[in-house]
Amino acid sequence: MSLAYLRLCTQHRLALGARGYATPTNDPRSRELKDEGPVFQYVGKQRKPNHKVFVWGFSYTGALGIPSFVVPDSGRKKPRKYQLTPYRLETEQQISSAACGYGFTLLSSSTKDLTKVWGMGLNRDSQLGFQRTQQDRHKSYDYVLEPSSVPLPLARPQQTRVVQVACGRAHSLVLTDSEGVFSLGNNAYGQCGRKMVEDEVYSASHIIHKMEGFDNPVTQVVCGQDHSLFLTETGKVYACGWGADGQTGLGHHNMCARPVAVGGDLAGVKVQQVTTYGDCSMAVSQDGQLYGWGNSEYLQLSSVTEATQINSPRLLPFEGVGKVTQVACGGTQVAILNERGEVFVWGYGILGKGPNLSESQTPELVPPTLFGRSEFNPAVTVSRIHCGLNHFAAVTDRGELFVWGKNVRGCLGIGKKEDQYFPWRVTVPGHVVDVACGVDHMVALVKSVI
Amino acid sequence: MTTPSVRVFHKLEGLFSIYKPPGVHWKLVRDTVETNLLKGINAAPPPGPRQRVQFLAEPTSVMAEGSSELTLSAASVPALAHHPLVSGPEFQHIGVGVGHRLDVFSSGVLVLGVGQANKALTDLYRSHVTRDYTLEGELGMATDNFSHTGRLIERTTYDHITRDKLERVLAMMQGSNQKALLTYSKVDMSTQEAYELAVKGELRPDGKSPPIMTGLRLLHFQPPHFTLEVQCLNETQRYLCRILHEVGLELRSTAVCKGVRRTRDGPFTIQHALTHQHWTSPDVIQAIRQYRSSRKAGKAKHTQPGKDTGTASQRQEMAEEAAVTGDSHRLLSVLTSKAFGS
Repeated sequence: MSLAYLRLCTQHRLALGARGYATPTNDPRSRELKDEGPVFQYVGKQRKPNHKVFVWGFSYTGALGIPSFVVPDSGRKKPRKYQLTPYRLETEQQISSAACGYGFTLLSSSTKDLTKVWGMGLNRDSQLGFQRTQQDRHKSYDYVLEPSSVPLPLARPQQTRVVQVACGRAHSLVLTDSEGVFSLGNNAYGQCGRKMVEDEVYSASHIIHKMEGFDNPVTQVVCGQDHSLFLTETGKVYACGWGADGQTGLGHHNMCARPVAVGGDLAGVKVQQVTTYGDCSMAVSQDGQLYGWGNSEYLQLSSVTEATQINSPRLLPFEGVGKVTQVACGGTQVAILNERGEVFVWGYGILGKGPNLSESQTPELVPPTLFGRSEFNPAVTVSRIHCGLNHFAAVTDRGELFVWGKNVRGCLGIGKKEDQYFPWRVTVPGHVVDVACGVDHMVALVKSVI
Repeated sequence: MTTPSVRVFHKLEGLFSIYKPPGVHWKLVRDTVETNLLKGINAAPPPGPRQRVQFLAEPTSVMAEGSSELTLSAASVPALAHHPLVSGPEFQHIGVGVGHRLDVFSSGVLVLGVGQANKALTDLYRSHVTRDYTLEGELGMATDNFSHTGRLIERTTYDHITRDKLERVLAMMQGSNQKALLTYSKVDMSTQEAYELAVKGELRPDGKSPPIMTGLRLLHFQPPHFTLEVQCLNETQRYLCRILHEVGLELRSTAVCKGVRRTRDGPFTIQHALTHQHWTSPDVIQAIRQYRSSRKAGKAKHTQPGKDTGTASQRQEMAEEAAVTGDSHRLLSVLTSKAFGS
């Protein structure tokens, strides 16, 4: 056998040796004529893009949903405290809405299956519902390290779909398409929209309250630090919760335990979007006007008033910003997006125009060249903006995610722990569809390119 | 003494661009141009024959006169030492330098410099000007050297690829390249200066950096063929072929490069590049003169708001001005300095 092998080798060498060198016959015409060899198909014509979830930020609360970051799989590995770049989170269903609270996360899918909402992170106030422990069925986990199902008390669980989720400091809101809003978590200030019970123990609580008191179906919910805002179909805004800074906008500085319609300058106005995350609240009407109320210690509303707490919505007339389509406000800063895709920022903190601009009363335009507009791509615009407590996030129409602001425990996801003073791209493998910002972590919903 | 050949040589000292055809090594091209220029220089009429005075002894009619006086007469005699037939052509070698090289597979603008202009060529080479390429690709094949002349490795289907998907992939690649531009610029991002440079788009790598594409655009898409326009820094042509291969991989298929054509190298564009028939000294002299006058017009446009002659040229001017860093201000001054007698 070995003899035959040897002969083959020498024959091969002879074939080469006859010409003295080996030239590949790479005439393209001859290749077409050959037409041999398999043709591989990796992707079919009807392939739809994959939807994925990426998380990054501070992981010790379990808010990232990856248990091996907190409790490593093997004894030799060390726990990962900060995830500084986007990390893929595997989910069972396609996630359509995500929200980041103060140390916890909620993910929801618009599926008709029984499990529609998953929560991970801090659960000391049952903001993720009752998470039964393995050892004791009366106890609930204080820290949920993996996306775990939130048991919503739906009347028709196989028909209702969850539209949106929102998270505050210690409470969460879940919006469904036909059964209204469900609130869970801390209710010390009435932010869950139910009557406050004295000395209520919130940890290991089974209470998930179905909210009442709206005259029309609710289309959007947002959570502030300890208050909640609701937007109905008719454009009316309802609020409940802590009001010491006037963030409920109900005309007083007291707590409110049931949703009450907001008046002031918003009376009769059709609102298209509400936003809040700290103690300041903002709303955009359908004709592009901006209204604000709540905390104004950081110049958020200083353009119309000197007061630091405004308890009734005020119209904020700004020239030069055009028709406002979206607004996002964080702890100390505000950002708006107009119909031309331009981003304006004001407030206090790292606003995105370099380290020299740290506070502003009036909107400052963030130059579009920072979002990738150049002579090769003159039509790049921003399509969504969001605010975390101390940072901003913007998603462009080309699917790129830009972040800037204070890098609290790596929440920006840019690979370093330093603050970022102007918009910086986050490298995400895919087309970013939406993003949710929290205090020290972020979640991005991403679609694959192909 | 300046002979007509030397005068022609001085006229030839400058920077010009030629169109390198594909399939030929750049050195061969350079040698051909040098030979043609030498032919042009040496074709100049040789200087008139120099005369020198030689003292000739008077022929004595009577040999045995015994007179000791030596009578000499002056005669003008042609000096043949410097005659071209004796000493050979005046110029046997001229220094023709090449700017950014092109490999055998590629074609396009190749910048050459003659004589003193080689110093400006080094400046051009070192300054961080960007270059424009047009890449032709074909979907469905993968080869070992990323071009269609390589050994075929795999064939794949490509019927799922649409123009929209291709543009999304290109947008993603451009995003990561723009981030690389900022990352390699070695400027501290927490300064106001970094913000201002980023707004103007002038945050670029100064020293060494990996190849970065500053602009990427799809020009033409007809499956399986497509054409990209790329503007890049620090690249090699093989890297560009590899980019096409990676575009194919991102689209879950494969792609090879069928042609790489450089359309601009710094301020030299393909419209003024000399083709094969024009690699002669009169055409080169004209090209040098044209380039110098366009630079002067460009400098004048700098000081006053110039007219918009068209989006392509405006983009080229903008790209040029944006891409060229501090080094090339010196380049500009060297190019239009008195050294070239302009």
